[in-house]
Amino acid sequence: MKKRNSFKIFLSVQNALFLRELSMRFSSGRMGIFWTFFEPFFQILVFVLIKMVLFSRGEGDFDFAVFLALNFTAFNMFKNIVIKSIASFKANKALFLYKQVKPIDTVFARALVELFITAIIILIFIFLGLYFDFDMEVKDLTMVSLGFIVLMIFSFAFGLFLAVLNVFLDSISKLIGFFMTALMFTSAVFYSVEALPLELQNILHYNPVANFLEMIHGFYFFKLDDSFVSYEYILLWTLSLLYIGLWLYTKLEKRIISS
Amino acid sequence: MIELKNVSKYFRTKHGKKYILKDMTLTLPSKHNIGILGRNGTGKSTIMRMLGQIEFPDRGSIMSDKSFSWPLGLSGGFVGNMTGKANVKFVCRLYGKSEEEIDKTIRFVKEFSELDDYFDMPIKTYSSGMKSRLSFGLSLSFDFDYLLIDETLSVGDAKFRKKSKKALMKKIETCNVLLVSHDMGTLRDICDVGIVVHNGKIRYFEDINKAINEYIAINKQ
Repeated sequence: MKKRNSFKIFLSVQNALFLRELSMRFSSGRMGIFWTFFEPFFQILVFVLIKMVLFSRGEGDFDFAVFLALNFTAFNMFKNIVIKSIASFKANKALFLYKQVKPIDTVFARALVELFITAIIILIFIFLGLYFDFDMEVKDLTMVSLGFIVLMIFSFAFGLFLAVLNVFLDSISKLIGFFMTALMFTSAVFYSVEALPLELQNILHYNPVANFLEMIHGFYFFKLDDSFVSYEYILLWTLSLLYIGLWLYTKLEKRIISS
Repeated sequence: MIELKNVSKYFRTKHGKKYILKDMTLTLPSKHNIGILGRNGTGKSTIMRMLGQIEFPDRGSIMSDKSFSWPLGLSGGFVGNMTGKANVKFVCRLYGKSEEEIDKTIRFVKEFSELDDYFDMPIKTYSSGMKSRLSFGLSLSFDFDYLLIDETLSVGDAKFRKKSKKALMKKIETCNVLLVSHDMGTLRDICDVGIVVHNGKIRYFEDINKAINEYIAINKQ
């Protein structure tokens, strides 16, 4: 058989895994495709209604629906990359029969699928925003994109780390649902941190996801800023998780393959 | 050539470590079809998977510059909720085949495996015989240095067995096999050398008949 270099092997493995994951996501008869794209709209609808009923829509600083769309897109990307990564070793065990498929490839491919879905959702939002004439003007597109990119790396690193742990500690995949719900309420998804009392703000400082979301909407809206965000803290989390995740993975790769 | 250097492999059980190989050093020469013999539970399949580098020794190393197929066995290595066709496509993509080659492979595998309508149905509806027919047919479309075969030749009806054996005989003109089997006739037909796995050791025999005699002697103990 013709020898291929390792990058070429990596590309064909990613190509095969990516297409496989996509077709599995969307061919499953459980309305997979519908829920994937409907979920963010549902979330936004619920929170817009809550706000209208409880707080009567008076602020008018920026468009609350756009604010929610942006935050839920970022948070869902994070959540889905992590949750899909955790299960990916077990779900793809049969594939480790093929020598070129390394466990980390399956995490990578799942993260790529989530990015692809996120991109489609962003396009749908932009299209709907233009059609219904929402105010979607961006203060600093470069920094918003940078926020998304670093959050992507953070999510991948966190997902990989938990995926490795999950091979040896079964309970992680069961607890992650609660954990993500708790995170959603403490990560500035449907509020901006500056609207909170100072004591709460000080606690939320320790939540890296809240930092990410503050960065993203701080650079999106003219009325908001990034004064809450600690960039050292974001980078510390991202790089440490990436380092620990990769280190654990390389130590345990062979055990994951034959587990 | 496959080189084993101080290889140990064990499984942890309730009664301590159970060794499959203990500090084994051995070189298997190239250009031979190797039969793997041993009693049930001695670790033949595990050793075959280690030689094919999808399982790893606990100590020592196994080295080879050859390419190995996935193990062709009853489990198949397929994804249950994808169709046979989708699985064939997936494996072709893993090995970097072009779309044109993929179409060709699909036509070949569909015809060879005789799955007819099942080819477009999810793998989970297949019997184990059907899975290994698909797996075997698919493996014929790749040019590996070694095919890893685990008992698959004994599945299917007599007609399919004959056909797959014929296809394999033709295939081994250009590649070699590592074959795990309990069927001495098959081993004699296909393999020219053999290894016998017993008590944590591998013994290599340059003549498959000698390996078979050794295996029979072990069985009488």
